[in-house]
Amino acid sequence: MLSLMIFIPLLGMLVVLFAIRREQEELAKRVTFIITLIPLLIAVFLFIDYDRSASGHQYEEDMMWIEAFNIRYHVGIDGLSVTLVLLTALLGPICVLASWKIDKGIKAYLALFLLLETGMIGFFCALDMFLFYVFFELTLLPMYFLIGIWGGERREYAAIKFFLYTLFGSVLMLIAMIAVYLKSGTDDVARTFDIPTLINLAKTPGHALADPTFQIWAFLGFFIGFAVKVPIFPFHTWLPDAHVEAPTAISVILAGILLKMGTYGLVRVNFAMLPEGMDFFCNGKGTWGNSLAILGFINIVYGSLCALAQTDFKKLVAYSSIGHMGFVLIGLAARNESGLTGAILQMFNHGVISAMLFLLVGVVYDRAHHREINGFGGLGSKMPIYTGITTLAFMASLGLPGLSGFVGEALSLLGAYSKFKVLTILSTAGIVVGAAYFLWTLQRVFLGELNPKYEAITEINGREIATLVPLGILTIVLGIWPSIAIDMFREAVSLLPLVQ
Amino acid sequence: MTINWQLLMPELIIILTFILVAIFDLFNSIQKTVAAWLTIVGCAIALYVSIDMLQVGMEGTEFSNMIQVDKYSLFFNVIFLVSTILVVLISMNYLGRTDRRQGEYYLLILLATLGMMLMASGNELIVVFLGLELMSLSLYVLAGYFQRSMASSEAGMKYLLLGAFASGFFLYGIALIYGGAGTTSIPKIASAITVNATSPLLLSGMFLLVVGFGFKVALVPFHQWAPDVYEGAPTSIAAFISAGPKAAGFAAFLRIFLEALQNIQSEWIVVVTILAALTMTVGNLVAIAQRNIKRMLAYSSIAHAGYVLVGLAAANKDGISSAMFYLLIYCIMNIGAFGAVILARTEDGESLMISDYAGLGFKKPLLALFMTLMLLSLAGFPPTAGFVGKFYIFRSAVESGQIWLVIIGAINTAISAFYYLRVVVAMYMREPEEELDFHPYPSLLIVALTLAAIGVVLIGILPSYFLSPAQISTFL
Repeated sequence: MLSLMIFIPLLGMLVVLFAIRREQEELAKRVTFIITLIPLLIAVFLFIDYDRSASGHQYEEDMMWIEAFNIRYHVGIDGLSVTLVLLTALLGPICVLASWKIDKGIKAYLALFLLLETGMIGFFCALDMFLFYVFFELTLLPMYFLIGIWGGERREYAAIKFFLYTLFGSVLMLIAMIAVYLKSGTDDVARTFDIPTLINLAKTPGHALADPTFQIWAFLGFFIGFAVKVPIFPFHTWLPDAHVEAPTAISVILAGILLKMGTYGLVRVNFAMLPEGMDFFCNGKGTWGNSLAILGFINIVYGSLCALAQTDFKKLVAYSSIGHMGFVLIGLAARNESGLTGAILQMFNHGVISAMLFLLVGVVYDRAHHREINGFGGLGSKMPIYTGITTLAFMASLGLPGLSGFVGEALSLLGAYSKFKVLTILSTAGIVVGAAYFLWTLQRVFLGELNPKYEAITEINGREIATLVPLGILTIVLGIWPSIAIDMFREAVSLLPLVQ
Repeated sequence: MTINWQLLMPELIIILTFILVAIFDLFNSIQKTVAAWLTIVGCAIALYVSIDMLQVGMEGTEFSNMIQVDKYSLFFNVIFLVSTILVVLISMNYLGRTDRRQGEYYLLILLATLGMMLMASGNELIVVFLGLELMSLSLYVLAGYFQRSMASSEAGMKYLLLGAFASGFFLYGIALIYGGAGTTSIPKIASAITVNATSPLLLSGMFLLVVGFGFKVALVPFHQWAPDVYEGAPTSIAAFISAGPKAAGFAAFLRIFLEALQNIQSEWIVVVTILAALTMTVGNLVAIAQRNIKRMLAYSSIAHAGYVLVGLAAANKDGISSAMFYLLIYCIMNIGAFGAVILARTEDGESLMISDYAGLGFKKPLLALFMTLMLLSLAGFPPTAGFVGKFYIFRSAVESGQIWLVIIGAINTAISAFYYLRVVVAMYMREPEEELDFHPYPSLLIVALTLAAIGVVLIGILPSYFLSPAQISTFL
């Protein structure tokens, strides 16, 4: 089941590349759209069929891959990954729709997009560390090309920067991974890359993997790898560049999924597998003990303040992402049920909301060919539907109660408050600033006198609405009834090494 | 004395092929490609025989313990023969345009291959040296094969002078080791050294060997010849020099240091570690500054020698097999990369400036695809072979506690991605400055590149078939 989901996009890539002629652009887009619907259908089925009360992984598949190193093709999903798999599968067809207007080399674009989808779904399903790493890297390459070929003016710079930052992080992660592997056994006891097994070994007292000093170093290696992806200050500078240059659909994937790969890795590896290392950085004692929470705080406040200063619509949304990922971090640093629930929920919600925001930026950019916030004005009278949807997305993003953004942030902060009082209180400043930049933007773009340049601007069209509606519904539903999501991962959270 | 000829089958086949090509070339100078095809067929048979012997596990020594045929040497035979076949395939169209006789070109390639095989199976420092000279002398001539090109002649001359120097160091090293250990036989040196562990003669002999090998496999700071020779030599020969001979150098390097000199490991491991770190770092950093793709690939191949050296610095069983496995992968992907350079030919010759590759991604999709794949594999990107190879090397080195060397290597991997990607950027993300008129694709080159591409992807996805032979073929 999972393999089908992972490799259907890859198969689709081959179909698009080799079975469709260059002139048949329309056909290529339709075929890709249909291909991306298949993982979505499977994901919806998984969502319904998933046993919410069972612990451990479900739909597992396990076979030997590289015998010499005991590397297995082991996939499976648990509560942590099932929501993210659903999110990935949902954004697939949405992004294909959002890419309908791409006119340069559409076949290659779609093929790379499908490869990207394979990498992302595979990453969230992988239960073998090596496989996990391979899928992690596999997303890097198509992303690099998608930004570098189909991006804006400074696409080359943005693509290389994105690539090198991520690669730098991931090679350190590779070393940590090798170290964990070598510690997991000896010449007589088989070593393993299997994540569930490693998690158990790291908890076994006296095992080499459970050694706190080792865990701290391994933690650092993995942390830098994931921190670049999240991105956590000071590794974040690639993000605004990449977002500004990337085409709309790719920004959606970048913010919606790729950033989640970082936080998912932090939960799956750093927290679950290296609890002693985690403890060193989150126990609340001294500088090191607060470091993760401090980084979360910096992300929230710094990201929000930077967003406030932007005049480029897309850059604003990009910096707001940095801020919102800070809530995930601070919830994670709390290491209690509320914090973790909030963090994981925030990952999903941010995926949905930031996807909406980037799609909305794309809509106005397609019409006005610029994103200068101060260059608009009064669009509300010409584009009422667009204005309505944007308002919904803004409100969800700034954390209005009743919409999904609120629940995740509130739970994260609630969890963090019991551990890091001062930092949590200071972090709420981020929410205030968030409200400020979103409302201010709303005012500058949609309210006031209509800018005469945009007399003839057209309302959002059916295809664009179709990309936004499913996401909009999700923000409302999850805002009112968050337990449908929380139920999915309640069991998985309780299995994490929580500290009350 | 009876000689077990069966043990020497691959070498004999190469010699036979050599004779056939020589005779044929004497009487027939019209059909130029026949020599090439004979070479390919001969190498393919030798390859088949080597693989067969490897599977059967045929081992033994011959000529009074001068030649040691074991899985280790057979595995290297596979590397050399695969490289030679690929190089001949990329050479045929490349030379096809020149009106020169081509017999000697293939003859020299065969001789060099034979030299490499001797180096891998030499059980005696003198035999290793003979193999080294056989290989090197053929390469000097090949580097200067385009007589009418100044660059090519200069490359040949430079290679000859510096190579002769290196051989001198090497030979002097052998002499000193003979002085210290009283023998030149590899296993006997190993047992002799335990007695008088750190005699100054042995140590200086060891250092001279490092210098000699350092020249031959282009380690920093003995690497200066490489970029000039690669740039000036015919591209197919640059591919050849960068692949097989480097593997052969390492074959002897590993065997001599880990078998003969294993008891003074603590002495040389520091040297090797420093050289590995230097070679990776300097190779990659200088590669960034290159504008000419052949020079860039030259520095990249220097950096790759550094990665292989990490396997030697690991100094354990896995270190050897990871170096072997990496050399196999490296030869395939590096020849592939040079092949892609040959593919990018215009009316004026080859396009060697990276800026010439602008816009190729959409104009010549197949060429760009091959080039991208090879460069990604060189950069060590999953799921290509280069990634598995690097992973194994790093794994071995972490296991033996060389964690800092691995960190340097890993950071170097990230650095190297920068310049490999620059070519990719040029191909896919830039518009061409001037319209270059590229040749249509020559069919054999496509065959060679397809083989290399299949190899790179196949080893990347299903490494077990290639890894297990490497793991069971070490001499330790």
